[in-house]
Amino acid sequence: MEVHAEREGKILITRAEGRVDGTNAREFEEALHAAIGEDDRLLIMDLQNLSYISSAGLRAFLMIAKKLQGRGGKLVVCSLTDTINEVFEISGFSRIIPTHASRSEAVAKHGG
Amino acid sequence: MSRKLSLKIEPRAEELDTITAAVEEFGDAEKWAPELVFRVNLVLEELGLNIINYGGTEDLHEIEITLTSEPGSLTIEIVDNGRPFDPTKDAPEPDLDSGVAERAVGGLGVYLVRTMMDELHYRRDGGRNYLTLVKELAK
Repeated sequence: MEVHAEREGKILITRAEGRVDGTNAREFEEALHAAIGEDDRLLIMDLQNLSYISSAGLRAFLMIAKKLQGRGGKLVVCSLTDTINEVFEISGFSRIIPTHASRSEAVAKHGG
Repeated sequence: MSRKLSLKIEPRAEELDTITAAVEEFGDAEKWAPELVFRVNLVLEELGLNIINYGGTEDLHEIEITLTSEPGSLTIEIVDNGRPFDPTKDAPEPDLDSGVAERAVGGLGVYLVRTMMDELHYRRDGGRNYLTLVKELAK
C-alpha cells in the first residue's frame, strides 16, 4: 500500500495504491492524516490503483471523512474500480462520500 | 470435478498475507475473475479477523480454512475452536444511513460477507464453530 499526495490549487489529491486491509489500514489512515494540512478542506482520493479494500480500510475512509467534515470540509473519491465501487455501495458509503468516475469530474464538481 | 485448497493458520493477523497469497494462487489455477479473488479474500479476512480479535480463548490455536471449487459454485468452510459466534445471527445490524458525523464506525465486516455470498450456514459442534459459505458461479 502506498499513498501519494499532491495539490491542485486548494485541493488536496491523494492516490492510494495497492491493498488496504486489516494489516495496514491503520498505517493508511495515518498517512492520510499526515497529508492533510491545517487549511485543507477538500480531499479528493483517486482510487484508480486501489486493488483491494476490506472493512478495516473502510473504517479509515470514514475517519478521514469525519475529520474533514468536522472542519467544514469534505472527502470525495474518484475512479473506483467496479469491485471497490460495489464495496462502497454495499456499506452505504456511496451515500455519504461523493463518488465520481474521474478525477477531472470530481475537481469540476467540488473544486469551485 | 472439484478442487480444494486447505489452509491451517495460526490465530494471528499477520497470517492474512499467507491467506491472500494462497487464494491468489488457487484463483489463478481455477481461472477465477479478479472480482472473485477479491470477494474470497474479503470473506476470509473479515471472518478470520473476527475470530482472531474476538473469538480468542486459551484453547484457540488454529483456524482451518477449506475452499472447494466446483463448476457452478465455490464453497468456503471455516472451522475454529474459539468462542461461539454465529455470523448469521450474532452480528449487529450495520449503520448504513446516518450522515458522516453520526455514522457508526465499524460493524461492516460480517454485513459485507453476508451480502457478497449466496449462502451462510453455521453450526457449533464439539466446541468448534463450523461456518460454511457458498457462492454460486456462472458455469
